[in-house]
Amino acid sequence: MSTQHSKAAKAFLKNQTYAHWHDATFWAVRTKRDNMAYGLDEWEQLREKASQIKRHTITHLDKYLDQFATAAERNGCEVHWAKDAKEFNEIVYGILKNHNVKKMVKSKSMLTEECGMNPYLEAKGIEVVETDLGERIIQLKGQAPSHIVMPAIHLSHDDVGELFEEKGISNEKGNHDPTYLTYRARLSLRNEFLTADAGMTGGNFGIAETGDIVVCTNEGNADMSTSCPKLHIAAIGLEKIIPNYDCLAVFQRMLCRAGTGQPTTTYTSHFRKARPTADHMHIILVDNGRSEWIGNPQHWEVLKCIRCGSCMNTCPVYRRSGGYSYSYFIPGPIGINLGMLRNPQQHSGNVSACTLCLSCQTVCPVKLNLGDQIYQWRQQLDDFGTANPQKKLMCKAMSMVYGSPGIYNLGTSLAHWANYIPSPLMNCSLNPWAEGHNMMEFPKKPFHKMIKDYE
Amino acid sequence: MSSKEDILKRYRANVKEQFDMPDLSDIAGVTYPDPLLQFINMTKSVGGNAIEVAKGRDINEIIRELYPEAKEIASNLSEVTIATRNPDNVSQASDLNGTDVGIIRGTFGVAENACIWIPQTMKEKAVMFISENLVILLSKSQIVNNMHEAYKRIEFNDYGYGTFISGPSKTADIAQVLVMGAQAARSATVLLLDESD
Repeated sequence: MSTQHSKAAKAFLKNQTYAHWHDATFWAVRTKRDNMAYGLDEWEQLREKASQIKRHTITHLDKYLDQFATAAERNGCEVHWAKDAKEFNEIVYGILKNHNVKKMVKSKSMLTEECGMNPYLEAKGIEVVETDLGERIIQLKGQAPSHIVMPAIHLSHDDVGELFEEKGISNEKGNHDPTYLTYRARLSLRNEFLTADAGMTGGNFGIAETGDIVVCTNEGNADMSTSCPKLHIAAIGLEKIIPNYDCLAVFQRMLCRAGTGQPTTTYTSHFRKARPTADHMHIILVDNGRSEWIGNPQHWEVLKCIRCGSCMNTCPVYRRSGGYSYSYFIPGPIGINLGMLRNPQQHSGNVSACTLCLSCQTVCPVKLNLGDQIYQWRQQLDDFGTANPQKKLMCKAMSMVYGSPGIYNLGTSLAHWANYIPSPLMNCSLNPWAEGHNMMEFPKKPFHKMIKDYE
Repeated sequence: MSSKEDILKRYRANVKEQFDMPDLSDIAGVTYPDPLLQFINMTKSVGGNAIEVAKGRDINEIIRELYPEAKEIASNLSEVTIATRNPDNVSQASDLNGTDVGIIRGTFGVAENACIWIPQTMKEKAVMFISENLVILLSKSQIVNNMHEAYKRIEFNDYGYGTFISGPSKTADIAQVLVMGAQAARSATVLLLDESD
């Protein structure tokens, strides 16, 4: 009856020391977020406004996209539109080829991950260097991110230390101090910034009124990526467009408070055009499913997401199973939903990774009802052909038992006889209720009887 | 059909219910009895340093005292006389690498999160990020309470770039240990100037 997620989670939980650390680390981030939220009287008002702005914007995107593109072109940017991942990758490659780019530095972008851009460009002979420290670490390790904001959270400082030794980034063997390792990565990446021919950034927001691409980082890597190379390409999903600065103020205040528990990211950078000493700036607007998802009556609101990561930080299942237990590259509550929109057949295994505690939608800065939506996906599994036959059978049996008081009462009054079944038979791997703990004992008197006797 | 038309057409066919833009004028953004004090405290809490400069003191002297070892100092500000490099005159951005102290000017600060709005006012903006240590000059009378006020004030010039900076570059990507100085400035000092007449 196990899903793909629960099997993977079992493997994650084998290392209990790490699993506890993972859980505690994310709970600490959640606590920092709470401190930030409680520190502002207007927090709940901001959430409500943020939700309403997003509802408005994503249901008027044609107007705002057009306004954004017009403003960006007026600023001197070249704006491209990509229907899907394939077209996006081709556009990027086309621009790089025109400028004879051999090496491109880039800041973190879940969109490029979604489109599989790095492997595509590498196959064409272009070197792509991730410059967010976490992204760089997993790139060197040949891995995918395990969290959207903290992509290398699954690695310990010893793992990173050994990786840096192997790659020649650090030269003091055995020195796995995070400060030292960060410094060595700084030196190595500095060299990449200075020698790259192009820099790519994602974008946290695109401002329709002014054509700004707004990028928020703590490391300053998006700014380093665009300060030295002669070419800047910015790639954003359609839903990242918001109307104006008044709206941006709401999101800027929430993004980092919700995501990492900081009052702001170190850098909130606004790009309108290329540096005077660079070639003109390119902006690629990427659809890749979004214009279809807006039509999904139950799930269109997923497009409100601003990718802060707070839903995974708080999720009891994410904290105890890690990013790699999910089949979609974005884990946690938002990843479950995005995966189902992308390909329900492939990602149905994730919808079980939810206790329906709804903590995610309680913290979500744009009030996205993530848990409710996961519940709705579960109702549709049969339509996708991914419902579990055992669970279906059980549900049928349960409706029979609970629908008939006679059978129910007979069952509960006889249940305690099961206590006499020898333990090795009861607590064996065939009994799913005895997994991770012993089978419970049934009381001699059913609850109904206890209440009646008490009265 | 172009991809743009294709995307917009599909979107228009799919979008169902439409929602109105909310009124944002009633947002009760946080305010402070002493925004300057809050700005200073917040700057320290994000890992930066804030120094109030007495009227008439030479900022060059202060910067020398703060960074006695500094050899390469980059700035295009006329009030900075100790600069060895000028971001307006370098032949390429990468020539600014190896700058020990970069000195730039901010337009205003934000009390709630220590952000300082810095529009690009030099040919190579690399000076804001590539320098090992960053010094930001700021008029201490120019502090707003929150980002709502801030976004009503920001202005761009022809360079078409501006950034809010709050403290030094930082990361916690290795085992969630906070380290100052990821890819950009390893320290950030704000000199709060008394520029009243």
